[in-house]
Amino acid sequence: MDPDTIFRTANLLALAGWLVLLASPLWPWQAERLSGLAIPLLLSVAYCGLIFAFWTSGKGGFSSLGDVARLFQTRQLLLAGWIHYLAFDLFVGAWIVRTSRSEEIRFWAVVPCLVATFLFGPAGFLLFNAIRSTKSIAAQPGMSTKVMS
Amino acid sequence: MSIVEISRAPSIGRPIAINWLRELSARQSALTGAGVLLVVAMLPMGFAFLLDTRLFNGIDVWIKPLKFALAVAIYMFTLAFFASWVDEKVGTARWFRVLSWATASAGTLEVFYIALQASRDEASHFNYTDNLHMALYGLMGIGATLMISFSAILGILIARNGKLDVAPVIKDSVVLGLTLAFVLTLIPAGTMSAMGSHWIGGVHSDAGGMTLTGWSRDGGDLRVAHLFGTHAMHFIPAFGVVSALVLGPEKRWPVWLFTVVFCGFVAFLFFQALAGQPFLPRLH
Repeated sequence: MDPDTIFRTANLLALAGWLVLLASPLWPWQAERLSGLAIPLLLSVAYCGLIFAFWTSGKGGFSSLGDVARLFQTRQLLLAGWIHYLAFDLFVGAWIVRTSRSEEIRFWAVVPCLVATFLFGPAGFLLFNAIRSTKSIAAQPGMSTKVMS
Repeated sequence: MSIVEISRAPSIGRPIAINWLRELSARQSALTGAGVLLVVAMLPMGFAFLLDTRLFNGIDVWIKPLKFALAVAIYMFTLAFFASWVDEKVGTARWFRVLSWATASAGTLEVFYIALQASRDEASHFNYTDNLHMALYGLMGIGATLMISFSAILGILIARNGKLDVAPVIKDSVVLGLTLAFVLTLIPAGTMSAMGSHWIGGVHSDAGGMTLTGWSRDGGDLRVAHLFGTHAMHFIPAFGVVSALVLGPEKRWPVWLFTVVFCGFVAFLFFQALAGQPFLPRLH
């Protein structure tokens, strides 16, 4: 099994997970199980397998940026790093969907967060928490309510 | 006293595998946990097996840790299954739980070290390259001895449990199986450790070995006696169940006779290997 085949398969799998999340209002329970658990777990198995087989062949390390760059010169470890992205981003995407349901945030507000997480990971996480905070601020009794009561 | 008691059938409804795991976990959670952990670890190791092109002793580096993970998992599940056959006071005693934890940890660490060494393309057993690896190999021996000792301890505790409500032939078969698994493992395993190899004569490689087991086909291999010896804990109780069903639950002699024959068979395998003879020679 060559790295390019694994790369394509992992990408397809992650993409399917994101599509399921976008359609999650239709089947919330199944979407959560699939995109929040099954697919990230499958990607994790692939990640661990790659690390098990190739961690000794990598040069470099984590102590400097140059070391990290050298580590990713090994194609299989670069692939492992990419699968790490895919798995954890999707997991965060599923967490966003789950949290938005329990906190009654409307799905149209969640969609841009999902897109941002898919493309830029932490940016989507930041956006979602920003939206969350505006909602919780709005829910608290503010100045205007005090005046009215 | 009924044969049905030998395995309380889990309730129907959930998937059978989950029911069985629940049942085993209720009997002994540490041993069951170790077994589950090892089975789960086989997934990424299996994937590594598909990717890795490195060979050790002529075969893929991941074959050995995969075999050990499966074997130790089966061992842990077996111990967990029989852990509820000891006196309830003993089974819930602190020392018994500590011993279960120690056994579960020893088995898990054993496989962890084998996998770590496989990932480095280095030997785990019989590694005499430097002091560190010799010390670690020594620790593996201590861990393995601790692990297999639990089988004998369990056998003795079950023998002493007068309240156990199973057919006499079943009880005898389990006691004999668990105790002899300890003896019949220690002898071949100790011998191969003392000799520094499990191969005696023939080509020292797994490349031409038997399918699945990898046993030598052109020389002696002590792993054969090790496998059958350790599986005394399955073969003898399995015979006990058959004997109870066919010859009746009160007749104990069939299982004692079978045990003698089985020990003779393992002894034959042991001396066959020592004589440098393969278990099944290659056909020309």
